[in-house]
Amino acid sequence: MTQFQREVYVVGVGMHPFRNDNTPMRKLAFVSAREALADAGLKYRDVGAVYTGYLTGMVMDGVTYSKDLGLTGAPITHVENASATGSSAFREAVLNVAGGHSEVAMAWGFDDLNNLQGVGSSRPGMEGVILPAAFFALWGNRRMHERGTKVETFAKIAAKNWNMARYNPMAQRRADHEMTVEEILASRVIAEPFTAKMAAATGGGGACAIIATKEIATRIAREQGRPLIKVAASAQESERYTEGHIFMGAVVGPPEMTRTTVKQAYEQAGFGPEDVSLAHCHDAFPIEELLYTELLGFCAEGEADRLVWDGDTDLGGRIPFSTDGGLIGRGHPGGPTGLAQIHEITLQLRHEAQKERQVENARIGLAHMMGGGAVCVIHLLQRV
Amino acid sequence: MESQQPPIAPSAPPPRRPLEEGYLEMPTEHDSQPRLIASYSEEAKTWFFPQRLRCPITEGEVTPRPLSPVGELYAWTYVHFASMGRVKYADQSGYGVAQVDFPEGPRVQGVLLGDRSKWKIGSKMRVMLNPVMKDEDGADLCSFAFEPVDGGVQ
Repeated sequence: MTQFQREVYVVGVGMHPFRNDNTPMRKLAFVSAREALADAGLKYRDVGAVYTGYLTGMVMDGVTYSKDLGLTGAPITHVENASATGSSAFREAVLNVAGGHSEVAMAWGFDDLNNLQGVGSSRPGMEGVILPAAFFALWGNRRMHERGTKVETFAKIAAKNWNMARYNPMAQRRADHEMTVEEILASRVIAEPFTAKMAAATGGGGACAIIATKEIATRIAREQGRPLIKVAASAQESERYTEGHIFMGAVVGPPEMTRTTVKQAYEQAGFGPEDVSLAHCHDAFPIEELLYTELLGFCAEGEADRLVWDGDTDLGGRIPFSTDGGLIGRGHPGGPTGLAQIHEITLQLRHEAQKERQVENARIGLAHMMGGGAVCVIHLLQRV
Repeated sequence: MESQQPPIAPSAPPPRRPLEEGYLEMPTEHDSQPRLIASYSEEAKTWFFPQRLRCPITEGEVTPRPLSPVGELYAWTYVHFASMGRVKYADQSGYGVAQVDFPEGPRVQGVLLGDRSKWKIGSKMRVMLNPVMKDEDGADLCSFAFEPVDGGVQ
């Protein structure tokens, strides 16, 4: 279990809006880093370590783009863990400061999944050519079989996340009207029972977080009249063998991994799911948000459907999920996705999110990401 | 004037070969059923598919062994894309995907073919060859797929 040698805090967050418009990676990177530094009131020269996260692009892109920020000698390390890339970069930055290696560290994700050589162009192989949506659909169908989950429940989750994204200027999908269950269901079916409007929005984007010691964070908080946002826990696991373990097509992964990772995180933080004000998860498809509501401990197994229909995972409910739109609404460009969660939770805990999606009296936020179905990364942030 | 075509002799079907080694035991004259090749860990008494280099539980040795030819459908979906990688399904709107539980333990994901009305969770599914491309000799290179034992492609 991760133990911090000293406390660490999020002192700055910044994003380049997630878009599918071929904005150059260099710009996505630059804007998000400058925004985070400005948010913290720090210079790049104050940063003692940088962890970059991207799946696409060229070798050394992270180091190359850092030259737009400055030449300071700070160590720069590329982190990659599929969808959890940004979350793992954040964790490395947190551990760097917590371990006393630097006073300020930067986690920096930028990406454009349009650059990814996708399954559409891949040579046939025994593994890995099935559309990833299929694996989530298999999970969804199994849930429907075991628990009687209705396709409308998946649509309701997706509609909620689209509607959260309407009020997030950083989101890729910004509908000009209230999305309904009917509209989600009426879109093109891609992998039964999932429709195109239930799928994560993929494109480009940038997101950055600055982490610092308590001393620096306290000074910044005082100067900017903000609360301290503490990193209460950082946990990461890879797969353990489970019954029915699937080695091929690593996309979903064993659900048990989320349960054991979050257990670590709660133990580290000293609080439990009942204390969490809002949550973000890897909601590439709504089956994930449904299942992770249970696996993260917010309700018993089989009860998440009821939470969805009772509005408990919506704004004003017991545990709002994906307040920035999640992967479905805000988008999932790859490297920056996990850092967009940190950006959103930080705004929420500062009570600085747009009022239409601000969780009332938010005090603790949970960020969960899966990478290639093979790693799970969870952070707990706390307003103190 | 019509050209004189030589009479076409009935030709044998093209030979079939696995797309990649290590996954499939091809049918023989004694056993027409293809089988998936798994790894068996004697120490853990556990099977794994696809083959492992070591037992992921004990880190001990594993040996290759064929799985039973028939398993049970755990979950399925139909993907509405007429291509899978470079494999185009010109005559179909998409393709089925299944997770099949084998009696030895492994749960295996693969393409699902055959009569869709027979795709029921819990129903028996057999392994079949799924030609996906040809090699330079004209042989069919095959991946594997599943089909209902009752309601297969043939």
